[in-house]
Amino acid sequence: MDSEGHIADLLVQSKATISFESAGTPQAKPIAVVEPSPCTRACPAGVNVKAYVSLIAAGRFQEALEVVRQRNPLPGICGRVCTHPCEVACNLGDIDSPVAICWLKRFVADYELTHPQAKPEPISQTRKEKVAVIGSGPAGLTAANDLVRLGFGVTVFEALSTPGGMLVAGIPAYRLPRNIVAAEIDAIRHLGVEIQTDSPISGDKAIDRLFEEGYRAVFLAIGAHKGRKLGVPGEEDYRGIIDCITFLNEANLGKAKKPGNKVIVIGGGSSAVDSARTALRLGSEAVHIVYRRSRKEMPAHEAEIVEAEREGVQLHYLAAPVRVLGKADRVTAMECQKMKLGKPDESGRRRPVPIEGSEFEVEADTIITAISQGPDLSFLTDDQGVELTRWQTFAADEGTMATSRPGVFAGGDAVTGPSTVIDAIAAGHVAARSIVRFLDGEALVQAEVSGGLVESEIEVDRKERKPAPRATMPMLEVADRISTFEEVDLGFEAAQAVAEAQRCQRCGPCSECYVCVPECDKITTILSTPQGDGEAILRLPGNFELPDQAGASVVVKSGRRKGVNLAVFPVIPQVKEELCRSCGDCVAACEYEAVSLIPKNGDVSVARVDPDICRGCGTCVAVCSTGAMLPGYYTGDWLTQRLASLDLEKRNIVVFACHWNGSHLDDKTLQDMHGKDIHLEIIHTMCSGRINPGFVFEALESGAEGVLITGCSSHDCHYDFGAKRAQQMFQNLERLVHMVGFKPGCVCYKQIPAADSARFMAAVDSFVEGLGKTKPNQRAAELEAVS
Amino acid sequence: MIDTIELNDQIKRTNAYACLECGKCTSVCPVSRYGRDYSPRMLLNRTIRKDFDAIFQDYDLWSCLTCKKCDDVCLAGIQYIELTQLLRSKALEEGFKGKCSHAGALQSLSRIMTSEYLHQNRLDWVTDDLGIATEGEILYFVGCAPYFDVFFSDLEVTTLEAAQSSIRILNRLGIEPVLLADERCCGHDLLWNGDAENFTRLGKHNLEEISKTGAKTILFSCAECLSTFKSLYPQWGLTVKPELKHMSQFLAEKVATGELELQSSDTSITYQDPCRLGRHLGIYDEPRQVLATGSPRDNGAPLREMQQAGKRSLCCGVSAWMNCDRTSKAIQTERLRQAKSTGADVLAVACPKCQIHLTCTMKDQLLKDKYGLTIRDISALTLERMQ
Ligand SMILES: Cc1cc2nc3c(=O)[nH]c(=O)nc-3n(C[C@H](O)[C@H](O)[C@H](O)COP(=O)(O)OP(=O)(O)OC[C@H]3O[C@@H](n4cnc5c(N)ncnc54)[C@H](O)[C@@H]3O)c2cc1C
Ligand code: SF4
Ligand code: SF4
Ligand code: SF4
Ligand code: SF4
Repeated sequence: MDSEGHIADLLVQSKATISFESAGTPQAKPIAVVEPSPCTRACPAGVNVKAYVSLIAAGRFQEALEVVRQRNPLPGICGRVCTHPCEVACNLGDIDSPVAICWLKRFVADYELTHPQAKPEPISQTRKEKVAVIGSGPAGLTAANDLVRLGFGVTVFEALSTPGGMLVAGIPAYRLPRNIVAAEIDAIRHLGVEIQTDSPISGDKAIDRLFEEGYRAVFLAIGAHKGRKLGVPGEEDYRGIIDCITFLNEANLGKAKKPGNKVIVIGGGSSAVDSARTALRLGSEAVHIVYRRSRKEMPAHEAEIVEAEREGVQLHYLAAPVRVLGKADRVTAMECQKMKLGKPDESGRRRPVPIEGSEFEVEADTIITAISQGPDLSFLTDDQGVELTRWQTFAADEGTMATSRPGVFAGGDAVTGPSTVIDAIAAGHVAARSIVRFLDGEALVQAEVSGGLVESEIEVDRKERKPAPRATMPMLEVADRISTFEEVDLGFEAAQAVAEAQRCQRCGPCSECYVCVPECDKITTILSTPQGDGEAILRLPGNFELPDQAGASVVVKSGRRKGVNLAVFPVIPQVKEELCRSCGDCVAACEYEAVSLIPKNGDVSVARVDPDICRGCGTCVAVCSTGAMLPGYYTGDWLTQRLASLDLEKRNIVVFACHWNGSHLDDKTLQDMHGKDIHLEIIHTMCSGRINPGFVFEALESGAEGVLITGCSSHDCHYDFGAKRAQQMFQNLERLVHMVGFKPGCVCYKQIPAADSARFMAAVDSFVEGLGKTKPNQRAAELEAVS
Repeated sequence: MIDTIELNDQIKRTNAYACLECGKCTSVCPVSRYGRDYSPRMLLNRTIRKDFDAIFQDYDLWSCLTCKKCDDVCLAGIQYIELTQLLRSKALEEGFKGKCSHAGALQSLSRIMTSEYLHQNRLDWVTDDLGIATEGEILYFVGCAPYFDVFFSDLEVTTLEAAQSSIRILNRLGIEPVLLADERCCGHDLLWNGDAENFTRLGKHNLEEISKTGAKTILFSCAECLSTFKSLYPQWGLTVKPELKHMSQFLAEKVATGELELQSSDTSITYQDPCRLGRHLGIYDEPRQVLATGSPRDNGAPLREMQQAGKRSLCCGVSAWMNCDRTSKAIQTERLRQAKSTGADVLAVACPKCQIHLTCTMKDQLLKDKYGLTIRDISALTLERMQ
């Protein structure tokens, strides 16, 4: 099923209206962004969240996935296990609940599995330098992926037999199926990254040797796999005590047997919760988690804890191990002590303090320690010149990932201690960028700090927002899951994903998804009716042979709308040289500097539009007084034709709508919403800046009772200056309309947020309502009398 | 289909068939001179050959400025601009039209003004200190200046200054002129666009309104309005009873009778003859008399005439908001060059269109201040010199 047919089906089922025709569906301003949305700013890896959510809302799944991939090579993985700081930042969190961003990402990644795309071509090595990446976890994979894309040769050395780091060694398959990991790593390999498994870096002068082998830079991304000890009496004395990473790794490889019947897991992170759930799945009867702070402080994700509880794991908060008890050589129980929370420590969490005399015992035959891990530094000798921190992690500059040894970089868990996949990905990007600069002989630059919660100026208008519940994730029943490693979360259906993405408020200006950019070289359909054949504004390359007249019919040869008949309106204006007075008004109007005056013979100059710069807003067309600047679309004749369809039996309302904020509802739906006595003629333009008084007067002359102009605010304007121009134009227009005696309010200009159908509709409604209160249109009455 | 028999009769009346093919018209035509391959002679030739398809499809059918230079030199007495008007009306009937500047907004406004139900607010600019009446012997026809000043606010033209100044002068002479609250566009431009139907509607309306006021004299600051009332309305069967005068004529009379005394001034002035006032109506002297009276001439410095002045005067480059283009700019640039090279500080105008068109080119981004001049209406300049 191709994506278009797919969406058409959805339209029927969900009644959701989807515009998949606007090239830049996700609104505004690819040139200068005022402030990205909070979600985008929260992502440590800098994934353009708003862009892909918007694209999903528009049903453009594959493009959404490409947007994710620009900054995250592991979308299917992150769509399952990411801690999603973006959702924490989401403005909707304050209102009802955040958009299910993470699950949406999973949806598009899965969508590609069922709708396979042609594989991208492997990238040929254009740089002679080779880079060694140690460790194939998310940090290493990301850096390798970035570097290969830039043409470097990259070899990844992996100690284990399967690449993926904690993604395969730690995180269990019921949360992250192995085929997903394998597919995403394969894609990276396919691009040209060489991954050598079973190849630990070890022995004397391990790093020196890499340089000797010809690698010009080294990225240490070895993760944190060495479990820390509990440090309590009895720990070394009995069998049945196991470190969680060892346990999980074996379990994940299918090697582990049931660890015991009564299992205690010590710790509160993902690794603790996963160990407990894994033990259950392997057949353990009673599984306890002992954590020294309260539930609120548990680093594991809330959803995981909830699922663990549902599966039968028992949690003990505010308790710490004090002694391991045993009989013969086997553990029998763990003595614990109750804790209370004291002052916050450096991590900001309140420090647990023991309560005297509160000791208690928990029976156990197995204890899994999951209290913290550090990197396994056994390969590193002092003479390698790589300094460590006092926590036995690599000392690396946060903003560049550089270690104390030039050419050696480190990142991910190996630097931070156990953290998250997305932080490791972020570190991989930073390291890759530094490595490139290092190899180019340039000074390293600090990466901009991204991620985290930033105070956002963008607010969601609470009143305007209709409550819509967050989608829930379909899951396997508990009974069906506790004996298997089948994936628990089942993923969204397409309709669910679209509906969820449509909850997004698209805070702030343009999401800069740039889906518009590559299409600019081809034929970009920008406006069209949703069902097949129709009318479209196309952005065409300069050398495209234009059909003779605007509105000429073409058949789309490729892409989503292949085979569809379209009326073509190219957006880039052309200059009719004989008409051009070389007044320079257009030059002044176009802030992209797409227009220049080219000297002809003698004193004469003519305007010329550079099709590579022009974005087709049409503002220059609106300011050109002679008509030399010829629009490819909405020519005078075309407008006259549209206005000829006004129905003098009815009240005619003409709306000139900037197509960035005009409704994405089709004209018929809109028409139906306004009853029988009103004829609504919605005329989309690329930008409100394209409207000039001539348009409006012609509409009034043709019998329109009212003319509404809608555009984005200057802040939102897709073309930066179009809205400004519209505002100026309207000031004059309003005075002229008043002077010539049309009834007050019959011409109105409203600025509304981009891509907000609801507000657009509201604007139309209130305009129509406002008009109804004044006396009927004289011109229409008269025209009727004449005809 | 075009009724060629009828058309033929009409063409005969313009004397077109008498063409000698001497080419004098083309040699004086500013559009031919400063622009492209436009030639009145060729259009005549095509007319004689009855090649109407070619004529109607030609962009240049709408390029004629109707400046009447050709008519003035024609040895065969051909009324070329009449022919143009005729052919344009036919062309419009056949569905052809000129290239309207400003996306046709100004034509739209004129057409909107044909409505019977119009309730204009066109006198908002009349401040309390201006004495006006609704009935009386003298009527001042404002024209579309209130609209122009809003529409061309980017150019910062103040064509209303002519009206304001005229009313002030009249007030000082003890006259409170009648202003029509429901004055309409005179229709001049629509007619030259080929739209005789809407032109007549406007004419009828204006004349009816005027007849209600008891006006015996109508004064105009706009040369186009005046020529419309004087020549076009009668030509289209509309009888105009009151006496019609351009403000410059009125002022000249008052200066002559001594009712109006003007102070001398050091400002050196040059004057742009509007085609309608000059070649169309033969009014060359009065504006000059007013401008020169009491000043510069009396101080020994005559009005600084441009290279082409009076009968030879050069048009302001655009007519009827149509076909404004590269040629228009070339004509305007040339005209500004001529004005500038007189050394005058002020370019006096007697028509708002001249003021708008020449200002547009003067403020052109490329020309910058090369032809920086003050462009002002005769009445405004006169008011300043009143005792
Ligand atoms: C059980 C568990 C569950 C988790 N759940 C989540 C979760 O839900 N969400 C989340 O965001 N994060 C989770 N994490 C954390 C996350 O997996 C890690 O933060 C992340 O994988 C760190 O990536 P990395 O690239 O720095 O290191 P790793 O992923 O640890 O990869 C390091 C790689 O280096 C290899 N290596 C080590 N030494 C050498 C050597 N000398 N030579 C060659 N190779 C070597 C290792 O074998 C390993 O493959 C979880 C962690 C665990 C343990
Ligand atoms: S605004 Fe029009 S006439 Fe002026 S330079 Fe541009 S294209 Fe030419
Ligand atoms: S103003 Fe708009 S349409 Fe005109 S050249 Fe600039 S970008 Fe293109
Ligand atoms: S303001 Fe514009 S440019 Fe802008 S997107 Fe909207 S109306 Fe268009
Ligand atoms: S009227 Fe003027 S512009 Fe028209 S053809 Fe004659 S000379 Fe040329």
